[in-house]
Amino acid sequence: MAAYKKRKPYVKAIIFGIVSVFSYIYLFKNVGLVMEGFTRGGAYAALPVITAFYFSFVHAAFCSNVLEIMGLEAKRKKSVPVKG
Amino acid sequence: MKKVYAVLLAILLLLSFSQAALAGGGGPPEGVKVGVFTSVNPDDNTAVFMQNGKSDATVLKLGETVKAGAIPVDQKVMISLDKAENGEETVKDVSRMFIGLKLEKILALLLIGLIGGLLSGFIGSGGAFVLTPSMMSLGVPGAVAVASNMCHKFPKAMVGAYKRFKYGQVDLKLGLVMAFSAIAGVQIGIKIQKIILNNWGNAGSNLYVSLVFVAVLVIVGGYVFHDARKLAKGGSEVTTSKLALALQKVQIPPMMNFKTAGVRLSAWVTLPVGLATGMLAATIAVGGFIGVPGMIYVVGASALVASATELVVAFIMGFWGSVQWGISGLIDIRMTLLILAGSLFGVQLGALGTTYVKDYVIKIVMGAVMLIVAVSRGAKVPVYLSDLGLMNVNSGMEHVLNSISFWALVAALATAGIIITGAMVKGMMQSRAEERHALQESVAKHG
Repeated sequence: MAAYKKRKPYVKAIIFGIVSVFSYIYLFKNVGLVMEGFTRGGAYAALPVITAFYFSFVHAAFCSNVLEIMGLEAKRKKSVPVKG
Repeated sequence: MKKVYAVLLAILLLLSFSQAALAGGGGPPEGVKVGVFTSVNPDDNTAVFMQNGKSDATVLKLGETVKAGAIPVDQKVMISLDKAENGEETVKDVSRMFIGLKLEKILALLLIGLIGGLLSGFIGSGGAFVLTPSMMSLGVPGAVAVASNMCHKFPKAMVGAYKRFKYGQVDLKLGLVMAFSAIAGVQIGIKIQKIILNNWGNAGSNLYVSLVFVAVLVIVGGYVFHDARKLAKGGSEVTTSKLALALQKVQIPPMMNFKTAGVRLSAWVTLPVGLATGMLAATIAVGGFIGVPGMIYVVGASALVASATELVVAFIMGFWGSVQWGISGLIDIRMTLLILAGSLFGVQLGALGTTYVKDYVIKIVMGAVMLIVAVSRGAKVPVYLSDLGLMNVNSGMEHVLNSISFWALVAALATAGIIITGAMVKGMMQSRAEERHALQESVAKHG
């Protein structure tokens, strides 16, 4: 089984990394405007929640690929969980 | 049958949300308002306040403790109002909502996020108990710290839950049942809190929260730790607890099948565990400390499945809480995203770490963290007793106790980080050695 070596996701990591970094830069560059809109309350509550979702997808995908490149992956064969 | 469950869950969800909307939910306390001071008049000690979402400005009288010169004008602030007996409202406290972020604060948030995420991915909860006080020690107002933390909790938990679902550790149905019964539990917890606040005031409420916190953490954490140490020594087999086995014999319908957890239980057993989790979450803000042990010792799931399933509960409750706090406009998205930057790494690392360790390692981490956090909260009890006039604590002593409380939290996080990393590295090296060994054997066999 070890003869097969998976290709590391360099391209994916770079793409998600760039999108993630640009998103962070964009948000922090416009922080005044963002904070004004995001803290209005009421229906504006959707803004921070959607933003958190967006970053969790983009940044988590970047993190996941970086961990894979670093060789940090889940154990391939997991024994059946025991009760306790 | 699946349709019945879906309908039941939808009803529970709708009930919880409508109730939350009516009761004000798990959001900020009453008397707290967010807005901007447009001008201050030091002569008659008043200030003009424009509240969020309102078009009219109001003139507010400043309380004795608030100095007119110290009020920031044209900056977003959070104010606490005190109602006098004649019904007149005075400003009790003003705090600038959003602190300036310097490099050291940014680095601190990234690091705390990373280790908090690692813990969360590994034991299903955690991070919040150290993130909120850490943010407050950076100068963030308490309510903003809780709100920003909550908004980082649900995406982190979602990513952790997704990863552990892929590893086959999440019991989705158990998670949904736990989450929605926990939301109902939160409502009960809030009601109890309100009764205590009305009868014994803020100091009484703090004391109650601390005592519940310490009692639950010492008893449950002590038991989890004891159980884990017994298993680590190899003294006994990993078995389902006697309590869970006895409860599995309860056959009162409706019965629920939890496939991944491998148990069939009466709803009359499952729902109270969720309710208790919610009640505790409303009281001490860390529901996972009862949810995970509850799923292990009462429901009968393994520590691996319980900690993974807790992430589903954390996602749903965190999402619901974030909407509540967002409606009040208290989320500082900058801090949320900075913690997320670290924690999205940490949570995935913690999640994959669980595939390399034995079941009891999760229990060791959980028990150790709970016991150290209990010390942190216990150190604050004399301060609250002093506030109630039941004990005499001078300011020097209070400072020492507060320091002990804060550093114990840091110690809890550091201990967890060290145990998890150590166990993971050991597990990975062992796994690679096994793979190499298997390869050598197969090469030798086939020439």
